[in-house]
Amino acid sequence: MILAFAFLAGMTLVSALGVVLSRNVVHSALFMSGSFLGIAGFFVMLNAPALAAFQVLIYVGAVTVVILFGIMFTQRPQVRRYRTIIQRQHWPGFFVAVGIGAFLAYIVAIADWTGTGPGNGPRGVDALGNILLGVNGAPPIFGLLFEVASVLLLVAIVAAIVVSRRKTGEGVDRGVEE
Amino acid sequence: MSLDILNQEPFRFLLSVGVILFLVLNLAAVFTMAERKVSAYIQLRYGPNRVGPRGLLQPAADVFKLFTKENLSPGRADIWIFLAAPIAMFIPAALVWLVVPFAPNAVVADLNVAIVFFIAVTSIGALGLIMAGYGSRSSFSLLGALRGAAQMISYEVPLILSLLGVIMLSGSLSLVDVVEAQSGGFWHWYFLPQLPMFVVFYISGLAEARRVPFDLPEGESEIVGGFMVEYSGMTWGLIQAAEFASMGLISAITVTLFLGGWQPPFEFLDLGNFNWIWFGLKTALLVFTFQWIRWSVPRLRMDQLMDLGWKVLVPVCLVWLFVTAGLMLLLPSVF
Repeated sequence: MILAFAFLAGMTLVSALGVVLSRNVVHSALFMSGSFLGIAGFFVMLNAPALAAFQVLIYVGAVTVVILFGIMFTQRPQVRRYRTIIQRQHWPGFFVAVGIGAFLAYIVAIADWTGTGPGNGPRGVDALGNILLGVNGAPPIFGLLFEVASVLLLVAIVAAIVVSRRKTGEGVDRGVEE
Repeated sequence: MSLDILNQEPFRFLLSVGVILFLVLNLAAVFTMAERKVSAYIQLRYGPNRVGPRGLLQPAADVFKLFTKENLSPGRADIWIFLAAPIAMFIPAALVWLVVPFAPNAVVADLNVAIVFFIAVTSIGALGLIMAGYGSRSSFSLLGALRGAAQMISYEVPLILSLLGVIMLSGSLSLVDVVEAQSGGFWHWYFLPQLPMFVVFYISGLAEARRVPFDLPEGESEIVGGFMVEYSGMTWGLIQAAEFASMGLISAITVTLFLGGWQPPFEFLDLGNFNWIWFGLKTALLVFTFQWIRWSVPRLRMDQLMDLGWKVLVPVCLVWLFVTAGLMLLLPSVF
């Protein structure tokens, strides 16, 4: 168990370092997927396979792929090298890092860690679904939050269509002679 | 006694992973053979018939040739990404087989979220595709990878939506539960009440496996080989193995979700412990339809691909989802 944890922790941390230190944007994005996979492994170790599957589906399968897609469409990733990722903005970066570190240390200090060992939380998809929808004893506010989140996503989709739509009358260039 | 030891946890898991790997790697060889024979018969010729009886040893000769060929890589390739890409494509395709139920009790890991696991792990395949296209540092490869990524992201949406009907009817995300809910004759299988979803899942499965008519990332007649144009030898072999493994996988998952898995079509045909024969027969039949389609339908254009995905498949899924939910509310006794 401890070996698996060490392997996953090493994989997550090394990949995270790779994201920051790599000079190549595409390498950074690929390192990021390695880090996400490590975190999915942690979820499996904590007896939450549903969370692990969603972590892989959303972060590795969708977010990283869309990021790579964006990089390849907007620039010529094969030529571009960023030399100054680290040198630029070190003071703001320093303060953000110290702030996050202090916040996490505070959380670790005040949290009650008894009884939160692996596998003690509510397990299985049915419990997760009940909590998400706020039914069967879960606070109903979660149901409202769930609905608000879905409305937000719907608005985002409609907005994306409105932004990317061609004006009427311009016609669609499909690359074929009409 | 020795069988009891094999049933203990670490041994059982390692043994079954070994069996799965053996199965997936051989599946690639068998499917290559089947692909060539089926294409030959559809085109009224013999196909490979020189190595062994009726050419049956042709896959062995192919694999031997691939192993002895040199692995070339372009001089300016991003060598680590270039070499990692076939692995990143093969491992997810092989991994999902862990949750496929072959017969009662014959499943490596009966996860309670097996359907989500299937979707999640297949979505990594797009990453391997982009890695292959980018790592080769060739225009054709990059074009193929961009097409492939767009296609796989778009068709994941109808793929997931078409699963929801089955999940609602069976009330479970476990593939074993889904199969058990379809027992008792072929009229209980989900392809009848979920016919539109079945068709959508089949089409998006074709697109996820990048089979003709959705082989735009490969597009041999326009971008010569797409994302895999620079690969040779066993790196190319691994990509092919991944493609065939995912084709078999899509068939197996379609059989599990919509065609009753290991359930026999009539109850008196129940073979007990040999019900995996039914599973194998149905999967083989679906693989044959994949190959049949390959030699009957021309490749789609990129805009037709996107139109089909977003303007036909997704609305059909959403409408049928509403119909299913409405019927389940109105007629709770039937479902």
